[in-house]
Amino acid sequence: MNVIEINKLTKYYGKSRGIVDVSFNVQEGEIFGFIGPNGAGKSTTIRTLLALIYPSSGSAKIFGKDCIKEGAAIRQHIGYLPSEVFYYDNMKVIDLLKYSASFYPDVDNKRIYGLAEIMDLDLNRKIDDLSYGNKKKVGIVQGLLHSPKLVILDEPTGGLDPLMQRKFFELIHLENKKGVTVLFSSHILSEVQKICTRVGIIKEGKMVKVEEISTLEHNNYKRFRIEMMELTPADYFSLPGISSLSIEDKAVSFIFNGDINKIIEKLYARKVINLIVEEPSLEEIFMHYYEKEA
Amino acid sequence: MNIYRQEMKMSLRSMISWSLGLLLVLLFFMFMFTAISQDAALITQMTSQFPPAVVRALGLSSLDLSTVLGFYGYVYLFILLTGSVYALKSGISALSEEVRAKTADFLVSKPITRTTIVTAKIMSVITLVVLQTVIYIGGAFIITQLITNQYFDEATFLMINLSLFLVELFFVGLGLLLSVIIKRIKTVLPIALGIVFVFWILQMLNQSLADPILAYLTPFAYFDIAKIIATGSYETVYLFCDAILIAFFTVLTYIIYQHKDMPSV
Repeated sequence: MNVIEINKLTKYYGKSRGIVDVSFNVQEGEIFGFIGPNGAGKSTTIRTLLALIYPSSGSAKIFGKDCIKEGAAIRQHIGYLPSEVFYYDNMKVIDLLKYSASFYPDVDNKRIYGLAEIMDLDLNRKIDDLSYGNKKKVGIVQGLLHSPKLVILDEPTGGLDPLMQRKFFELIHLENKKGVTVLFSSHILSEVQKICTRVGIIKEGKMVKVEEISTLEHNNYKRFRIEMMELTPADYFSLPGISSLSIEDKAVSFIFNGDINKIIEKLYARKVINLIVEEPSLEEIFMHYYEKEA
Repeated sequence: MNIYRQEMKMSLRSMISWSLGLLLVLLFFMFMFTAISQDAALITQMTSQFPPAVVRALGLSSLDLSTVLGFYGYVYLFILLTGSVYALKSGISALSEEVRAKTADFLVSKPITRTTIVTAKIMSVITLVVLQTVIYIGGAFIITQLITNQYFDEATFLMINLSLFLVELFFVGLGLLLSVIIKRIKTVLPIALGIVFVFWILQMLNQSLADPILAYLTPFAYFDIAKIIATGSYETVYLFCDAILIAFFTVLTYIIYQHKDMPSV
């Protein structure tokens, strides 16, 4: 079952592009990574899902309901952590959390205290006095305290130290095991790689690709690093399936997706000093997508 | 209800300060009453030397400064202006504060409709203005009674002061509407001061020109204190005009806020 269904969602801010024809689904119980560089349209998509902004065209459904028309009912079951966390000053953390809880029926106070303990958050401090990372923790607790069925995280780890990031990922895993669906937006691939089952890649407002993380990793992409005996002509390796090609003096490197024998044939005809073939990092695959679609 | 409560918690203190401020202004002026009321004839004589347009613009033509209500009616101008600035400021702040403090994402992503938000905000501002009117009228009554030590018609006194509430409602409505139309509001008070001042200039023009259309454009013209003192009632046309405009501002606020994109931080 799809928890989120996005259909040709388009948003223009006046004349400037937000997102164009974005379509993808997020299935129940999965952790979906939403990845792209800053300004690609991640936040625009997320903010439309929450009806913070209205789409220029296209539509989105959450739990099978239109996210604009039935937004209030849908948001009952959504936990949202905005990328930048700002809260009413002059309020204690616990007051803010209780205020947030007051929007949902039957929030158990024990859950608030439990989450705060996991995230190591001091509830009695004033929000104005908190550091960026601590405000982020308030945001995390705030987004989870009503036990939402869908959690939307917009670049959630900024400002958190590595220890806290780990605790946060554990927390998300725990929620996910209980059946919670997660939409996780980030521009850091390794983070998405760690936690997500599928990723959607967005670039300049358009969805480039939606793929299983495992497929991305095992799509037979290989990174080749070769040291040749002699200088190589620039077009020697211009084969289909090759990307990120760089030739510097006698050192050649590229990512290849396809029949490895094609490369071996090429290499056989020349003298090779050194050859390294390795699994590319997701980062590199990701860059590959960006180059290919450019 | 929770938004309303939160809103009241954040604004109650400022409302009380403003109300006390109003009473202080009043206190200051009323101390002059004893002195001025005795020399009222002199002042009237002096102002009669001014060009008539100026006298009218200053609102000196129709009020008898030797009576408590006449004098109060003159002082009331400053109260009205200050109260209007407060009302306009509160109206503008109610919805735009969330954007300025960047808490709009927090509030709007909650399981509530935009209409609920607007309603809660409007209710809270109206409550503030009502409370302010009550505090002010109570205080003004005591101050006026104690300092002047003279008889005045209490019903008329109440009528004069209730017009403060009706003018404030106008500015609350205008403020709400402006706050959803203007894209980025950085500071509220200077805007509020400027706008109230413009309406006041319109009123001065209206008084000196006695233009029949101009009077509809500024809420300060809706409640003519001299006429209230003379007749003990408001003018129906202007009361109606005030009500229509307030309703118009409110409805537009709902509609525009409903379709507004929350600015990203």
